[in-house]
Amino acid sequence: MTALIEIENLTVAFRSKGREVRAVEGVSLSVEARESHGLVGESGSGKSTILRAICGMAPVTGGSIRIGGRPVPTPRGRAFSTEVQMVFQDPYASLHPRHTIDRTLSEPLAIHGLPGADARVVQALTEVGLPPAFRFRYPHQLSGGQRQRVAIARALMLKPKILLLDEPTSALDASVQAEVLNLLNRLRAEQGLTFLMVSHDLAVIDHMCDRIMVLQHGRSVEEITRDDLAHARMTTAYARSLFDASADRMLDGTTEPTS
Amino acid sequence: MTALRAWLSDPNPASRRQARLGQAWLAWQRIRRNRLAMAGLVIVGLLLLVAILAPLIAPHDPLAQNLSRRLLPPGTPGNLLGTDDFGRDIFSRIIHGARITLYIIALVAVTAPVLGLLIGTVAGYFGGWIDAALMRLTDIFLAFPRLILALALVAVLGPGIENAVLAIALTAWPPYARVARAETLTVRSSDYIAAIRLQGASAPRIIAGHVVPMCLPSVVIRVTLDMAGVILIAAGLGFLGLGVLPPTPEWGLMISSGRKYLFEQWWVATMPGLAIFIVSLGFNLLGDGLRDVLDPRSAAR
Amino acid sequence: MNLLEVKNLRVTFATETGQVQAVRGVSFSLGHERLGIVGESGSGKTMTGRAVLRLVRPPGRIEADAMTFDGRDILHAPEREMRALRGKRIGMVMQDPKYSLNPVMTVGRQLTEGLRLRDGLGRADAAAKAIAALEAVQIRDPRRVMDAYPHELSGGMGQRVMIAMMLIPEPDLLIADEPTSALDVTVQAEVLSILDGLVRDRGMGLIFISHDLRLVARFCDRVLVMHKGLVVEEIEAAHLLEARHPYTRGLLNCLPRIGGPRGPLPVLDRAGI
Repeated sequence: MTALIEIENLTVAFRSKGREVRAVEGVSLSVEARESHGLVGESGSGKSTILRAICGMAPVTGGSIRIGGRPVPTPRGRAFSTEVQMVFQDPYASLHPRHTIDRTLSEPLAIHGLPGADARVVQALTEVGLPPAFRFRYPHQLSGGQRQRVAIARALMLKPKILLLDEPTSALDASVQAEVLNLLNRLRAEQGLTFLMVSHDLAVIDHMCDRIMVLQHGRSVEEITRDDLAHARMTTAYARSLFDASADRMLDGTTEPTS
Repeated sequence: MTALRAWLSDPNPASRRQARLGQAWLAWQRIRRNRLAMAGLVIVGLLLLVAILAPLIAPHDPLAQNLSRRLLPPGTPGNLLGTDDFGRDIFSRIIHGARITLYIIALVAVTAPVLGLLIGTVAGYFGGWIDAALMRLTDIFLAFPRLILALALVAVLGPGIENAVLAIALTAWPPYARVARAETLTVRSSDYIAAIRLQGASAPRIIAGHVVPMCLPSVVIRVTLDMAGVILIAAGLGFLGLGVLPPTPEWGLMISSGRKYLFEQWWVATMPGLAIFIVSLGFNLLGDGLRDVLDPRSAAR
Repeated sequence: MNLLEVKNLRVTFATETGQVQAVRGVSFSLGHERLGIVGESGSGKTMTGRAVLRLVRPPGRIEADAMTFDGRDILHAPEREMRALRGKRIGMVMQDPKYSLNPVMTVGRQLTEGLRLRDGLGRADAAAKAIAALEAVQIRDPRRVMDAYPHELSGGMGQRVMIAMMLIPEPDLLIADEPTSALDVTVQAEVLSILDGLVRDRGMGLIFISHDLRLVARFCDRVLVMHKGLVVEEIEAAHLLEARHPYTRGLLNCLPRIGGPRGPLPVLDRAGI
């Protein structure tokens, strides 16, 4: 039984101003079906680049990516889009400003020649907790959290097995973040999704993921389970320093009022 | 009326059409508050009306000569703006000239921006050698002064209104291609393009459905602002005898034929000149107003 | 006497659809301490900070019963007087250094410009003072940074340069609007300790605007919790995590915690507030 996502020795290098920049270097990871895997690190750690490389938005200069045991084709093609979809960080930039929600959601169906767009769009809106009356609104008529719900609905239109989440809540308010995280967890349970999630927030990653990879400067530093994280059982100094900086996000960092 | 307004401003439109009309209505509300833009719109609307109703408004046949009544000054009974060297009524000729001006504008407006958009978005979207090749082609066209290039083209193609339009369109597209390419470059790297690409959309679909709508406002603004220039080039070609052929009542041609009498009978050249001035001003005001309404940067919030 | 006194501050915007009140009556006073203002987007926290400097652009309008800085009326002070206050006695650090630094000027020139124009210092004196300021914000290689352009700096570096720039005139009050939210956690800690040192050593007053309750609880002395333009709770920062107001509690509860339960996170009940 092979893992659903297998990444081996992935290297992503760009040419920038004549010198080579290695955004990701020799990263290997595997994610089982229905698992939720997290990638944490600070800016420049290459965590988002890994997601982009899977989608073909960043050049894979070394190593291999396999989905369901098969190497991904280049260009990724239509079959790939029914298996893997992505939710982007900034909901203000990921929806086309001049398309209605209806168009944004029905376009994937049109591309793949799938029937029943009307019913599917209404169903998708309901699934992500938006009223069907929002169907013909434009993105600027929605709040950030509502936009992110639309972006999630769009990613699920083609019923993919894998959802890549690139800091899906870091642009949102804390209360909206909770709603979106709950939505993602519910959808994962209902639709049997596999998550590969990037975040800089250890608490968010801890809440969402079973296993976590810590990245620094494009390299994998340490891979730990959720349990290890909660009990601070990390082995490398870098992972510990990240953990210490997030100390106020620990469970006992906040105490319930004593009444 | 109030029912219609409520329907248009409904925050939850029930259909695609209602959503689109609602947005158009909002844009109209914004442009209505811009006085100069409204002035431009009125001028352009008047031009349209005059062109459509030309035979009804014009008191005389624009081609009818009457050598006994030549070079009459403005205000002469029966000839509001005077007559030219063949005794033709200048007012009637200007009114019929509006049709030709509008015809040229319309033809240029549907050809040059389309060509420019196509070349600009394709170059910007694909990048690489396609971009390099298309943009060098654009540079070649841009390297010539527009009037000179148009002159050369007309000289090759022969005079006539269609050839003049063709020449103007062929010289007018490069700026639109540049604008469209610049806009495409910023749009190309956005998340919503990445998202639709991830949905498996083909390049033509992305360009037509996702990139072009984002470039359209800036191109439309440019086109409106350029219309004044197009009128002037058409008039220039007419003035040089390379555009519309006499005796067609084209404004540039009318100025050209009035040049001989500029000092004694100033009105022959001045009246069509004023018509060009007013229409150009109208398009410029409208273009400025459209920029305020359509430009995604200024209308962000 | 308090450094800053604000009574019943209101900021209104005249929009196409009518009057929108961004700040609806906020009162607070500030001594030589760290005052946190927390709230979600749209709570009016940023507008409150800008209103103190009278940096609200039309169609925005600032009203208040009283607004005094160091005993001076800054609500009715002429614009010329405000310009003299801004930067010199009241500094402001914005969220994103990318938009606050001039991209076509070296950092050194931006840092020394004010010193040379306003204080009439010579080139060498101004440069020495700028380098000292960069050292004060823990920049290890100040001479290299002086010659760099803003795009050559990382986010954390840029933010430190911004803080250095604000500190050169030695202001009595610093308004920091989300100064660390664009930064990585480890850099964030450094920037906070710099700000902390300045309040302690120079006796500066600090208004720290943030959306992050836990950060404010850890860093500030006193906290105002804002919601929809109103202060819903004013509390000692040390007790923020035990706050009782339903809105503050709701904000705290909806945060995920490391090692916390896996079930759905509690969601803020918007209708109840």
